[in-house]
Amino acid sequence: MIRFLATRIVLLLVGLLIASALIFFTLRVLPGDVAQVIAGTQSTPEQVAAIREQLGLNVPLPVQYLDWVGGILRGDLGSSLVTGTPVVEELVEKAAVTVPLALMSLVIALLVSVPFGVLAALRRSSVSGTVFAVTAQALAAVPVVWAGMILVIVFAVWLGWLPPQGFPRGGWDDPAAAVRALLLPALTIGVVEGAVLLRFVRSATLEAMGQDYVRTAAATGLTRRRALLTHGLPNVALSVVSVLALQVAGLLVGAVIVEQLFTLPGVGRMLVSDVGNRDLEKVQGAVFLFTAIVLVIGALIDVLARVLDPRQRETS
Amino acid sequence: MSRFRRNAVVGLALVAALALTSCTSGTDTTNTPDADASVTVGLVLEPTDLDIRHTSGAALEQVLIDNVYEGLVSRTASGEIEDNLASSHEVSDDGLTYTFTLNDGITFHSGNEATVDDVVWSLNGVKDDETLIDHANFANVSSIAADGDDTVVITLTAPDSNFLWNLTGRGGLVFEQADDTDLSTGANGTGPFTLGEWKQGASISLDRFDDYWGDAAQVSEVVFEYIPDATAGVNAIVAGDIDVLTPVDANLRSQVDAVDELTITEGRTTDKYTLAFNNARAPLDDVRVREALRLAIDHEAIIAAIGGAGVEQGGPIPELDPGYEDLTDVRPFDPERAKQLLAEAGQSDLELTLTIPNIYANTVSNVLVSQFKDVGVTLDVDSVEFSAWLEDVYTNKDYDLSFVDHLEARDFGNWANPDYYFGYDNPEVQSLFQESVAATSDDEAADLLAQAARIVAEDHAGDVLYNATALTAVADGITGFPTDSPNARLDLGELAVG
Repeated sequence: MIRFLATRIVLLLVGLLIASALIFFTLRVLPGDVAQVIAGTQSTPEQVAAIREQLGLNVPLPVQYLDWVGGILRGDLGSSLVTGTPVVEELVEKAAVTVPLALMSLVIALLVSVPFGVLAALRRSSVSGTVFAVTAQALAAVPVVWAGMILVIVFAVWLGWLPPQGFPRGGWDDPAAAVRALLLPALTIGVVEGAVLLRFVRSATLEAMGQDYVRTAAATGLTRRRALLTHGLPNVALSVVSVLALQVAGLLVGAVIVEQLFTLPGVGRMLVSDVGNRDLEKVQGAVFLFTAIVLVIGALIDVLARVLDPRQRETS
Repeated sequence: MSRFRRNAVVGLALVAALALTSCTSGTDTTNTPDADASVTVGLVLEPTDLDIRHTSGAALEQVLIDNVYEGLVSRTASGEIEDNLASSHEVSDDGLTYTFTLNDGITFHSGNEATVDDVVWSLNGVKDDETLIDHANFANVSSIAADGDDTVVITLTAPDSNFLWNLTGRGGLVFEQADDTDLSTGANGTGPFTLGEWKQGASISLDRFDDYWGDAAQVSEVVFEYIPDATAGVNAIVAGDIDVLTPVDANLRSQVDAVDELTITEGRTTDKYTLAFNNARAPLDDVRVREALRLAIDHEAIIAAIGGAGVEQGGPIPELDPGYEDLTDVRPFDPERAKQLLAEAGQSDLELTLTIPNIYANTVSNVLVSQFKDVGVTLDVDSVEFSAWLEDVYTNKDYDLSFVDHLEARDFGNWANPDYYFGYDNPEVQSLFQESVAATSDDEAADLLAQAARIVAEDHAGDVLYNATALTAVADGITGFPTDSPNARLDLGELAVG
């Protein structure tokens, strides 16, 4: 186990290093220049050059890269080239919108996918099961933008139950208002992601139903359903958790789109405007942090699966 | 401002309720503004940074000038120059000496008095520091000095008919010499509002400054909410989340019109949605090709496609600026003549690329593609990020045709600058422009500009597809919101809720 942990940690560190280089150098391929963005259309080439000099953009790229990685090792993700605000400071502020949004979306996705996925599997040959499966298939194909627009038209514009856009200026000072602001965006992501997960839960459940231990349990006198619930579902849960880890990336992408659509001041919207302004220092800091989170979660899931599932221990 | 939420059912109930209350309490309606009111204004473009001395962009000026920062002189929404921190100003007959008398009791938001030395220091900063925006506007200034406690004298080396106008912009703003506020994220001006809170990516708030030297602001707080998506903006005002929205996308106007408690105002602007031709590059260096392209454009159809929120502008100068003349007859819609001109120029199967920042909807480029196709010109649309546009088109001049909004007022000088990305180099235009700058009377300057503008139009150096009309949605009870040029300046000194 210790050897496994050590290899996993080394793999994680190598992954982070590769990611940092990829992020840094691919961003440099983008055309455009933050100095020109700051100087604007009424500027002289001299002014732009002065700004470039001041921001340290004339330093060779490998040196800039090493500086940046050195900063990360010291726990410093750099500062915005435009405003000078530290990246971490702004990320923490924006995360107060994006993290709750992602969590709410996840909860909604689970509420949609688990019960209906299991039901769809149990009733796979009945009409209701087919309806679930087909609906999920259709919903999973819906673009997030379109789902969001429909939800806004129905719940905000027609019914007036929820705000169509924005986040309270006081943030979480008024939790009820904040939750209301996040409800439609979370539903938008949650329903689409939930539909994706539902299909997975359904097939994982179907697979579990065919397993020997469920059949054996059923043979000992349990109903098929009871056998599945007591013996099959823990296994279903295990595979759903590992898929969930992959879905974290999906949730973040969803958040970028939904934050644009609902004008939420979160990390996603920040990234879009920073890329537009070529505030690359901030973009690379934020993207690196995301990548790190996804990689770390992946590693944790691996370890967790190994602890929970004895079969994996035997095979290595 | 009370929040009102509207929808089909509740909306009807609300209208009925309002009708009832107005019947019963109609007599005690007074027009005293609510001094504690907070007004929420939805805007589209957020500034990237608040440092108005170093960062460009209209979004900054829109919110901060007149409200937070002030200069000796200012401009009205319709483009006239008026005294602001100066109680009066005088220009000598030779156009070389400008004398400003300061108002009394001007206070910075820091609580310190604004002195004549602060004014001199601020203006000298722009003159001496080339990293400050508008430094170039002070090229003719030889000295800026105080004369006593309340007079500032600016001496020029040569007359500059634009100088006073330039002082109404960033270059003329007054800052506190002893102040150490970080202007990237904070502010310290003399205006009727102090900077409240900037939540990046969301909103900027302004609070009334109680020690303001002039007439106090009529509301206690203004909140600018940044809503980049046009539909989200309209949804927000229809739902009552915001009180004012500018601009309203003309194609979504009917949704706002359907709400009784909202009014749409139509204002003039200096927003010139410009189809730039790369005059320096073949085949656009041939005037026949440029003319053909302009004759191929049905400007009425373009204005219809954007929902009608625009007027035709035949020349480079819009109606609000000096030197304006209706030049639309220079480029009638005449596809047949366009084909003829292209044939004369030896251009068959002409293929051109239109580089357009992706912040603009593709409505206009779609119309252009089909109109150009009618005269045998293939238009490839290359939609790029604004930062890429800045590099490719603006800096490197690597483009055929480009489409952006040139919203600055009085920016005719771009056509007289051969290094500008238009690539238009006409010595006659340049000398007329120089003469207009050197003119000592406004009428003379305007007349010379009009002559230069006619040449640019007849040279078909570029095309203004339309001069935008600003649509602003305002909720009932709100008065004093500027109608003209709201995307350039939003002077909210008169804004009231009554």
